[in-house]
Amino acid sequence: MNKFIVRDCTLLTRMSGVKEAANLRELRDRVAACGENVLYHHFCETLLRPSFDYPDYHNDFAVWVKLYLDDRVLGERLGILDPYSIGSLEDLRERMLDIIDERLSELPINPAVSKGNEFYFLEATTVVFETGDIIEEPLSLPGKIATMTNGSIFYHFIEARRRTSRCTDDFSEWLSLFGDAGACYTKTLCSVDFSFLTLAEMRRLLVERLGCIGGNNG
Amino acid sequence: MAKSLAAYDGIANSSVIRELRTLGGKLKGIRVVHVNSTREGGGVAEILSWMIPLMSDLGMEASWEVIEGTSEFFAVTKSFHNGLQGFPVTISRQDMETHRAVNETNMARLRPMLADADIVVIHDPQPAPLLDLCPERKGKWVWRAHIDISHPFLPVWKALQPLVKDYDASIFSMSQFAQPLPHPQFLVAPSIDPLSDKNIDLSQTEINAVRADFGLDPDRPLLVQISRFDRFKDPLGVIAAYRMVRKVLPVQLVLAGGGATDDPEGKAVLDEVMDAVAGDPDIHVLLLPPDAHRTINALQRMADIIIQKSVKEGFGLTVTEGLWKAKPVIGGDVGGIRRQVFNYHTGFLVNTPEGAAHRIRFLLHHRAMIDEIGHKAREFVRENFLLTRHLREYLTLFHWLLHGEGESRIYL
Repeated sequence: MNKFIVRDCTLLTRMSGVKEAANLRELRDRVAACGENVLYHHFCETLLRPSFDYPDYHNDFAVWVKLYLDDRVLGERLGILDPYSIGSLEDLRERMLDIIDERLSELPINPAVSKGNEFYFLEATTVVFETGDIIEEPLSLPGKIATMTNGSIFYHFIEARRRTSRCTDDFSEWLSLFGDAGACYTKTLCSVDFSFLTLAEMRRLLVERLGCIGGNNG
Repeated sequence: MAKSLAAYDGIANSSVIRELRTLGGKLKGIRVVHVNSTREGGGVAEILSWMIPLMSDLGMEASWEVIEGTSEFFAVTKSFHNGLQGFPVTISRQDMETHRAVNETNMARLRPMLADADIVVIHDPQPAPLLDLCPERKGKWVWRAHIDISHPFLPVWKALQPLVKDYDASIFSMSQFAQPLPHPQFLVAPSIDPLSDKNIDLSQTEINAVRADFGLDPDRPLLVQISRFDRFKDPLGVIAAYRMVRKVLPVQLVLAGGGATDDPEGKAVLDEVMDAVAGDPDIHVLLLPPDAHRTINALQRMADIIIQKSVKEGFGLTVTEGLWKAKPVIGGDVGGIRRQVFNYHTGFLVNTPEGAAHRIRFLLHHRAMIDEIGHKAREFVRENFLLTRHLREYLTLFHWLLHGEGESRIYL
């Protein structure tokens, strides 16, 4: 009983059907009309995509505005948006539109990109599956996390915040079943500021911090 | 020799291999047929040569069929290729009839297999008419476009669009390449096989033997561009860049490529290249047979810098190969090269022969940076562009096609 079933997820990116944006006003209009999955992809699923080094910002809109529209002011304003601290994707959309509208009112022109540098609106198809691994008690959690794929870390620690009723991660949901024995783990999980971490870094940090608790308990 | 997934344990993470087995295990027994137009030469054939054994290892009944064509057919499909990459070409009614007729001939042979398959993946425009020729098909059909069709010559796209619009889905290498179609368009970057002859680790003895075979000087810097002799790869621009560098540094250049059986233009481009070489003993133009994978591997490993100065490019697997060998790549600022080459991290993007010459000189004057970039380049490929990631995305697509078409999330 109270076993944690480890799942994994794989994403396949697809064109959303929303026409690409070649200037800021087009970006605004497309953001206003695109599906929530599109917003979610460009804000949150960026963690699962190939990237080279630390991007300035974790959401694709801020990166595009900075790199291609060459608007550092707007890049900074969009870059600080934290999708996990904003109530819903609709709220996130509203905040984003407010920021772009404000910027459009400040600028004398509607900034545009050169051909080939347009913003493409994407979304993902996700397949979720059980890995066959289970976790029986909190003490085993760090060891199991250490062997999880990036897909599992994303699914249980990041994506869960969109899925669970309390907008928390799956580990914390499960640990709440253990009362006091799970509380110190939950507190540690809550303290992880994951906004600037890659999935590999997240895994390392979770293992390290949760491992310390196990060590103390043991 | 057919490879198994276990062979990649240690190159990719163990957890990644386990993930593939779990995902693939749920597709056991499905019949998958890939169709393209050449068994040897070019990135598509290379991808299929590892993908089929690995899909089989996961329990799928995977097979690879190659359509046979006439020289007239391949001239037409080369025009398609050029037109889709934006060059104005004429595709006549007669050309379209030739295209369809060759596919009809092939369909007579392939019909039982294609009609019964659970999933058929058609690669590039050459076999695209097969869908329309197989109305009794039972499975899902996917069109996989490997080339850059971001700015096609419109009449050519209009000729091709009716042949591909009825597929259940299409796959492009990058979002910029996708074209409006009435079905879902997925994005899957290609990848390399680290255990193939072209990418496997080689002994220094073998590398030295290849160096000696081609009369390359071990004591002078070597620039290498591996690609078909194709205008889009800009071999003349590479020679121009080499000449600018040669004025100040004693470099050598290798331009090596094979001729693919579906590329009739190669000979004309090769002639132009030879004219430009004009007898320079430090430019080595190597026309290699299609199976010279280990030779290409050795050339990339002995290079100081890999060049891929394309002016149009699909994804650019030769770039991935160069990065995997821990070499900085100086690449054209086009297509998929942009997804792989990052200034000062994995190499440099350039737009002109002058730009290429500038970066070559910069790197040759900063030898430590060549090693530093090379290390980062290899790890970048390990994370993002090995076949394990590629295979996972195909398995994800297959699950979507078979279990969740229309859904954005599928629980297995």
